Amino acid sequence: MSAVIEIEGLRKTFQSLRSGRRVAVDGFDLLVEAGQVHGFLGPNGSGKTTTLRALLGLVRADSGRMAVLGEPSPELLPRVAGQVGAIVESPQFFGNFSGYRTLRLLAHAGGVPVSRVDEVLDLVGLHDRGDERVKGYSLGMKQRLAVASALLKDPRLLILDEPANGLDPAGIREMRDLMRSLAANGVTVLVSSHILGEIQLICDHVTIISQGRRVATGRVDEVLAGHDRHEFLVRVAEPERAVELLHAAELTAVVDGGALVVSGVSDPTVVSRVLGEQGLWVGELTPLRPDLESVFLELTGAYEHPSVPRQVGDSSLPQGGAVIDLDRGVDA
Amino acid sequence: MNLVRAELERLSARRFVQLMVVLLVVAFAVTAATTLVGSHKPSVSELNSARGQAAEARRDLEANHQLCLARQNGDVVGDSDDFFPSDCSAIDPIRQDRLPIPADFLPGVFTFADQAEPLLYFLIAFLVLFGFLVGASYIGADLTSGGVVNLLLWRPRRTTVLAAKLGTLLGAVLVLSLLASVAYLATFWVIGQTAGLPGRLDGEFWSSLGAVHGRGLVLVLLASALGFAIATLGRHTSAALGALAAYAVVWELGARLVLEIVDAPNSDLFMLSSHIGAWLNGGARFYDEQICRGSTGLSCEGFYTMTWGVSLLVLLAITGGLTAAAFAVFRRRDLI
Repeated sequence: MSAVIEIEGLRKTFQSLRSGRRVAVDGFDLLVEAGQVHGFLGPNGSGKTTTLRALLGLVRADSGRMAVLGEPSPELLPRVAGQVGAIVESPQFFGNFSGYRTLRLLAHAGGVPVSRVDEVLDLVGLHDRGDERVKGYSLGMKQRLAVASALLKDPRLLILDEPANGLDPAGIREMRDLMRSLAANGVTVLVSSHILGEIQLICDHVTIISQGRRVATGRVDEVLAGHDRHEFLVRVAEPERAVELLHAAELTAVVDGGALVVSGVSDPTVVSRVLGEQGLWVGELTPLRPDLESVFLELTGAYEHPSVPRQVGDSSLPQGGAVIDLDRGVDA
Repeated sequence: MNLVRAELERLSARRFVQLMVVLLVVAFAVTAATTLVGSHKPSVSELNSARGQAAEARRDLEANHQLCLARQNGDVVGDSDDFFPSDCSAIDPIRQDRLPIPADFLPGVFTFADQAEPLLYFLIAFLVLFGFLVGASYIGADLTSGGVVNLLLWRPRRTTVLAAKLGTLLGAVLVLSLLASVAYLATFWVIGQTAGLPGRLDGEFWSSLGAVHGRGLVLVLLASALGFAIATLGRHTSAALGALAAYAVVWELGARLVLEIVDAPNSDLFMLSSHIGAWLNGGARFYDEQICRGSTGLSCEGFYTMTWGVSLLVLLAITGGLTAAAFAVFRRRDLI
């Protein structure tokens, strides 16, 4: 598959008189291939939006190489800009214009047929509200309009920064369906979001960024599998005795509430056999599979001290700074 | 072309632009209405009386000049209370900018030929303010609201996008200024024809008015570009307004005062307002007592001249320099 987005060693620092020098992105790599729906995750202030802005030529990178649809960005981005639809954070539109007029204006500026405006308004569910002024739109409607503006060009690559911002549950579901439908039609989608469940549902690939560095990338199922500790929830009549029996069988087990959590289990029948041989019958044996949220929180260190309010930028890198790249293996 | 079309639509839809146009129309309407109400078509007897008074005033001037010459030659011993200049050519009627005309003796009668130029200066002043404010707010609001970022996602060519904005602004301001000034002068011309006097509308009048008009339009365009450039550099509309206020207070008032205290020669050369005046009037003369310091003769008048050419160069250099700086900064700036 051909690369649609390539970022290698991207570094960006911001300097201000008040807060001094701040590294926003620190040698970040990203590879998005054609046809992927690629999730881009990271805590607040981890460098997601800066990365997207640098990729789209809105901020100047200090160093690194970027390419969009095979063209170096931002130098030759204008060559492919007509095939890239993007929204970065929540775009602001002219409040006095209607949704229709906003899109018609962009269509004029981008040389897109005006007939496309009705199509995209329909796609994002604003067909009946297109004649209303943007300043009367709710946050979710503005977000839909933003997505419509990104779709106006009928893009080959769609870059969406927090597209679900302000959307109600039905809107989130519609957005998910829209992205699936676009992907089915061959559009490559890079989507950043905080709604991890959505990313897990929509995306086939994911890249996680923390403190400006990539901490994981690969297929979603492989990233999850890479964090599978082979844990099982076990319910038995005598949990304390069961722990002793499992320890004797060289398995790690702890009592958690009224149940046991047994880890490092490659074959779950071992658990039921060890306990059953001693007359302890297993009432429940449930595999504890990691979800994207737990992997995200683990990789970014965002859940290290649940009792302490976490500050923006308090995320961390995995121990030793290793990057889990399931396409390439583990980079030290 | 598509970009310019889109920009034109955005510019014309801006509330601030619409408000300023409404203000222009209101100021125009109030001026025209008060002129119309305060003027009347003079009767034949009023005209005859005014002609007589004008002729008499011209005769008085001539007589005064002759008396001055006679006293200078010692032919006549005059009343010591009479004041005559040491150089009689100063009151020579031939050397006066204008001689009394009948219109000077027609109170309550609007004379287009006499009033057109002051009226045009008022319009130019309004349009200069309009251009500066609209230029600043057009880019300033777009930079703060994220409108520029939106556009750059569509057309990732910063210089092209900014140039399209500036070009659209200058084109729109020029067209509006042309339309406004033509409508403005035409309205007062009609008032002169119907409820006043047209005055002497010869070739000299029209060429003089045309020159002021042309120079005024250049000034309006320069002010628009200046507002646009400063707001681009400062990222906000308020940057342009702040820079304008700071310049007026710190330089035009403060520095002028300091230059006068230290007796700096030709201090008006350093003031933008002097150059604006010189450009608009086709040149300007400024008094500086230091010019005549050490001079014993009576020939030293103490004036120095600022030509419109030099003033235009100064205005172009400042506007061009700031505009070039705005483009250079915008090309490299992080848009966050």
